Amino acid sequence: MTVSVGEIVGLSALLFGVGLFGFLTRRNIILMFVSVEVMLNAVNLSLIGFAWHFGDARGQVLALFVIAVAAAEAAVGLGLVIALYRNKPGAGVADLTDLKW
Amino acid sequence: MADVTFYYLAVACVVCAILAVTRRNPVHSILWVLALFMHVAGIFLLLGAEFLAAVQVLVYAGAILIFYLFVQMLLDVPGEEAGRRFGKHWPFAAVLVLSLVGLAWIASNGTFGDVVKAPAPESTEASSSLATFGDALYGPFALPFEMASLLLLAAIVGAVVLARTRPQT
Repeated sequence: MTVSVGEIVGLSALLFGVGLFGFLTRRNIILMFVSVEVMLNAVNLSLIGFAWHFGDARGQVLALFVIAVAAAEAAVGLGLVIALYRNKPGAGVADLTDLKW
Repeated sequence: MADVTFYYLAVACVVCAILAVTRRNPVHSILWVLALFMHVAGIFLLLGAEFLAAVQVLVYAGAILIFYLFVQMLLDVPGEEAGRRFGKHWPFAAVLVLSLVGLAWIASNGTFGDVVKAPAPESTEASSSLATFGDALYGPFALPFEMASLLLLAAIVGAVVLARTRPQT
């Protein structure tokens, strides 16, 4: 394959940007979490791209840790969402202003 | 052939991500992210990370994303579909994101240009095997690996505690 690692990093930057846009703008809390997953995937892509480029397996190990942290984040985040909807049915991100000063 | 496959997967990734971020129906969004994860797994295969491609499909697409889909379906889909998709501040977010991506683009072609433009070392094929990966995971990364299991245990307990209903007394 003649694709250079620069193109992989560029693709990773594009995916990260799309995920960041989704996180900053979507008003549905679950889609904000899903946008974070898109960003984590972009980071994994660049880690594995560099692991491939340098022939070093450590980048792949770090990507595996990123996946483990993403799983933990999904479990805790969705537990929070369920607790939130139980206490305030129909609450959107814009309605959660209890900590607003 | 591998190049054509890579460019197809790259374009499909970006298109799937944009569709996922902009769809009105949250369930459609999550299904587009599922397509995105499958294409990213294909890129992992091209980059010689077979194990991580399998983990991506099994854990990410198969477990995490389906978990998101279930929780989204438990909540109010028609109400979400009727409301506004984006906050009022979305042009600011767009400018921020475009500048960030531009910065990353410049960095990958300028500062690190010599590193990233260099051809990949010849030893890539041998070092991408599962055995090398396992040696790294259980060698220098053995302690972080155990800590990841502890983190997952804490996350499981935390999720149960958070989502549990209080018994009525």
